Amino acid sequence: MRFVLKTSYNRDIDVFRDRVHFFWYFLLVLVMLIAPLFAGTYFQSQLTLLFISAIAGTGLMVLVGYTGLVSLGHAAFLLLGAYVHTLLLKYHIPFVVSLPLAAIACGVFGMIVGLAALRTTGVYLAIATLAFAMIVEQVIKNWKSLTGGNNGLKVSDPTIFGFDLQSDVRVFGLDSEVSIFYYVCFVILVLVLFLIVNLLRAPTGRSFIAVRDSEISAQAMGVNLTAAKIRSFSLSAALTGIAGGLMAHQIGHLFPDSFTIVDSIKLLMLVVVGGLGSVHGVIFGAIFLILLPEAISVLKGWLPQAMVYRGGLEPLIFGSILILFLVFEPFGIYGRWQKILLYFNQFPLYRKKTFKRQRSFLRTERVH
Amino acid sequence: MLIADNLTCSFGGVKAVDQLSFVVNHGDIFSIIGPNGAGKTTVLNLFSRFYNADKGEIWLEDDNITKISASAVAKKGIARTFQNVELFERETVLQNLLIAQHIHRTTNLVTECLFVGLARRQEIRFRETAEHVIDLLHLEQYRDAVTGSLPFGVRKLVEIGRALCLRPRLLLMDEPSSGLNPEETEDLGHWIEDINQDLDVTIVMVEHDMSLIGRVASRVLAMADGRLLTIGTPKEVENHPEVIEAYLGC
Ligand SMILES: Nc1ncnc2c1ncn2[C@@H]1O[C@H](COP(=O)(O)OP(=O)(O)OP(=O)(O)O)[C@@H](O)[C@H]1O
Ligand SMILES: [Mg+2]
Repeated sequence: MRFVLKTSYNRDIDVFRDRVHFFWYFLLVLVMLIAPLFAGTYFQSQLTLLFISAIAGTGLMVLVGYTGLVSLGHAAFLLLGAYVHTLLLKYHIPFVVSLPLAAIACGVFGMIVGLAALRTTGVYLAIATLAFAMIVEQVIKNWKSLTGGNNGLKVSDPTIFGFDLQSDVRVFGLDSEVSIFYYVCFVILVLVLFLIVNLLRAPTGRSFIAVRDSEISAQAMGVNLTAAKIRSFSLSAALTGIAGGLMAHQIGHLFPDSFTIVDSIKLLMLVVVGGLGSVHGVIFGAIFLILLPEAISVLKGWLPQAMVYRGGLEPLIFGSILILFLVFEPFGIYGRWQKILLYFNQFPLYRKKTFKRQRSFLRTERVH
Repeated sequence: MLIADNLTCSFGGVKAVDQLSFVVNHGDIFSIIGPNGAGKTTVLNLFSRFYNADKGEIWLEDDNITKISASAVAKKGIARTFQNVELFERETVLQNLLIAQHIHRTTNLVTECLFVGLARRQEIRFRETAEHVIDLLHLEQYRDAVTGSLPFGVRKLVEIGRALCLRPRLLLMDEPSSGLNPEETEDLGHWIEDINQDLDVTIVMVEHDMSLIGRVASRVLAMADGRLLTIGTPKEVENHPEVIEAYLGC
């Protein structure tokens, strides 16, 4: 058992509990920085995908995990981010400018969807966001002069000062090639996590949490529901837009159906499986999401042929996983991880009831 | 300090509050009593601006707050607790107390994202206020406990603490003693007096427990079916024939 001695309030405010805690994260970053030197091209591109998923996941986590609003339409923000970014690149706007612009564009659209969230919650909000995603897809499909319609849009390589970010560099003395884009995505992910973790330990983040746990109390604490929900939606959309922009480079050629409802569900799965209401959960969820296709291909070997080729297997699996987690482990992998940690921390004294919630009292008095 | 002038609020055909007028003075511990369904909670919800008044006005000192938004009420210095406890259940006691200081923030989105000196100093300031309240209500042992898993009595106390974190001038409490055992109620009485005297907070509380009211309340309002029966000292109200009748009648 390890005790943490806190000698100033700063200890509780800091992101890292103590030096040991900091060391582990530092090590993780270090490993990620040198990984490309030893990993093959495939592994690098998988990790790049993981970083991008984590960026999008952070966006959805802010909305679902922290503000308690559901969205089934986040594919729309991936799509919007990707198209805005690609179009800006096409007109020779530099990468470092176009990606933030794509984020801002998505943020503005997020604000508009957020307005819908003021009147609707739960299932209705999910349907509203789904409808929004369909509208976005249709607009992109039909606005041929700008988006090329169903012919899609070729994504130009990202460059900074004439240097191609998507090139692979051969490091002296090593066989493998190092992907520069890997580092681009990694740096952006770290940046995004830095900003979001800060925001979440400050009043804005807490106002999101307040809205999630009790709208009525949030208002009594002076939290403006309208402002909080719109902020959260807009922030979430902006982050997802950045992920969309980066994803465009991974895909190489954009189509109106490059991101669909399946991607929205995958993102939702990422946050639920990872652990609602935790930033760690985003990373766990992203890892899960990357490993899932591998697991499914293994599974396909065991299933009868008819089932494998019928189609619809993946959505079925995604759906089942979502439901199972929501029912049995609402706090996701990260929640499970914390329980395991606590078990070892308090070894002989662990109580099963620690995480049991008190039965809530009657809520008849709630004003809705 | 707080003036309700001819307040009326109805739900469909039910007049939950009917032409209610009263004045709460600065420093009062003003108690509202009445049988179930009398409209007591509705009165508090009108003050909190959760419900719109059909008629009448609410004044807080020189401000007309009849039409302000629910989130602006807190900024005017009015805090409240709820009949059935409305905490942020997935968060710790400390986090609840920090959330409650939302109105006192001086940072914006940018400074929060970068967490520069201003944001950190603000966090420390918030934490000091929270610790002060924890100290006051003896909540030390629950500081890092998730509120959803605490016993009911403690949760009620945390809710009072959370309200105090707003540093209000007026505190609205809805049945603070319901669900508490006699000892807890006894303690509650002391805390209410402390909050009123030491922190200079005017209190409006809906309450059923007459012995608690007799001990702490400076004035009592009795109502039934949304209408005012009488206002006076606890003794006067307790012995008022209409009040006795209202309680026997239900
Ligand atoms: N949101 C609402 N919608 C419809 N009717 C309501 C609503 N809130 C209160 N009422 C009605 O208004 C009347 C007064 O309710 P209120 O909750 O204010 O009573 P109360 O005095 O707080 O009672 P209790 O002692 O049981 O808490 C009741 O008849 C109730 O049914
Ligand atoms: Mg009531």
